[in-house]
Amino acid sequence: MGEVGAEASRTDATAAGQAPRRLSFTTMLDGFFFVFAGIASVWLAWLVLTQSFEFGWFGIAFFVAFWLVLAYLVLPRLHRILAAIYVPEYFIGRARTSDGLLGDPVNLAFDGSEASVHAAMRAAGWTRADDITLASGWRIVTSTVTRRSYDEAPVSPLFLFHRQQGFAYQQEVEGNPARRHHVRFWRTPDWWLLPGGRRVEWLAAGTFDRSVGFSLFTLQVTHKIDADIDVERDHIVATVLGANPVAGVEVLHDFSTGYHSRNGGGDTIRTDGDLPVVDVGEVPVVAIEAAP
Amino acid sequence: MSAADPERRHVSVEKRPAFESPAVLATPVTPPVSMPRPAATAFGALLVCGRVAAGIAGLVALGLAWDDIVRTELEIELEGRDSQAASDLVLTVVIVAGGVVLAVELLLALFIWRGSNRARVTVMSFSTISIVVAWIDSVTGSTEITLRTTFVTLALDILVLLALSSRNARAYARRPRQRSILHRRWAGDPALRRRHRPRTSHAE
Repeated sequence: MGEVGAEASRTDATAAGQAPRRLSFTTMLDGFFFVFAGIASVWLAWLVLTQSFEFGWFGIAFFVAFWLVLAYLVLPRLHRILAAIYVPEYFIGRARTSDGLLGDPVNLAFDGSEASVHAAMRAAGWTRADDITLASGWRIVTSTVTRRSYDEAPVSPLFLFHRQQGFAYQQEVEGNPARRHHVRFWRTPDWWLLPGGRRVEWLAAGTFDRSVGFSLFTLQVTHKIDADIDVERDHIVATVLGANPVAGVEVLHDFSTGYHSRNGGGDTIRTDGDLPVVDVGEVPVVAIEAAP
Repeated sequence: MSAADPERRHVSVEKRPAFESPAVLATPVTPPVSMPRPAATAFGALLVCGRVAAGIAGLVALGLAWDDIVRTELEIELEGRDSQAASDLVLTVVIVAGGVVLAVELLLALFIWRGSNRARVTVMSFSTISIVVAWIDSVTGSTEITLRTTFVTLALDILVLLALSSRNARAYARRPRQRSILHRRWAGDPALRRRHRPRTSHAE
């Protein structure tokens, strides 16, 4: 299994038109700068904190700055360094956050072409999430401030097979940006099999954002997810099957029964461990494309 | 489907250690051929400009307070027009030298913005040196780091280093360039042929 992870990155390397390289002096230098910057940022956080005691009431601004430095610079970098050492790179049924922490559990699988998945999800009343760009980021800020609905709001990047999700779908609840159903999709590498030997074309992680809060591990502002991830999984499967009569489902029972843990934001997750494999290969692509 | 599948690769089942090698932190990132400029690179270039601005402010402050500095810090009494002229000459030399350094820094910021890896490594090296020097200064107690002294430049150095050492900035600076690839293909570079072979064999 360990080699699978390494193999996946090698495939990425060749796809990018580059042969895999051995550790050279410049890459070692990059590694050094990466770690040194992490250590230096701890010092910076400490300096900002000590400054906050020097300026009376104005020190509150420094305290906020301290939190920003800690949550968005120091802790992500430290997590990245430590997680690179102690979180395995091969598939363990969990996506990883951009800091390398364990993220949402993989609790769904799909068979079918990308167009079929899009068609099935759209027919089931799901909205594709925008990619994270400057424009969509600005729209999040304005929609949060004006309390306006933004039902194509982007989802945070999670990684599987060293890759960010290919796309994500979501359903906003009551026009409230803090609460939404969402599911991320990753295409599995061509030769890759699930533990147990089943071949699926897509893996997906569906969770329900119940509110906005602080991440346990990085102290960043983030969505908190509902602990009962099976409810969300079953909701996704039910909507897809309900709207697409030709879609079928096969459940791999007790696929991840033992995974009762936390996601990347430190939220508890509970699951019965079943992995539904939804077959959307027969969903007509063209007919759905024409529909609004 | 798996056993009969000729596409299936044979995966080694050797035992592996219970921890990942820290060397993964140094493994080269493999960027896509076309990659939009990541926020980390843009922010890093902007921060280097911030350092230049801090440098200009420092030079202006130095120029305004030069006579005081000469008298109190260097303890030189200026007597007569000759010594005053000499003092002004020294100030001019210092400001010109500083200006040249800042202009080079600004140029490096531009190169970083355009994705030069050499500029990125150069700036990170100087930031590292400057951080280490500041740290030694503060540990030996020769200067206390406060907002009124070296805090701003130190903070900028650390932020520059954080931004430019991030994986996105690294990937952007090391992304394969179309122009250099074409040029080397024309020159018949064997390393390039090696590099391109996987792409043709790999239909993705």
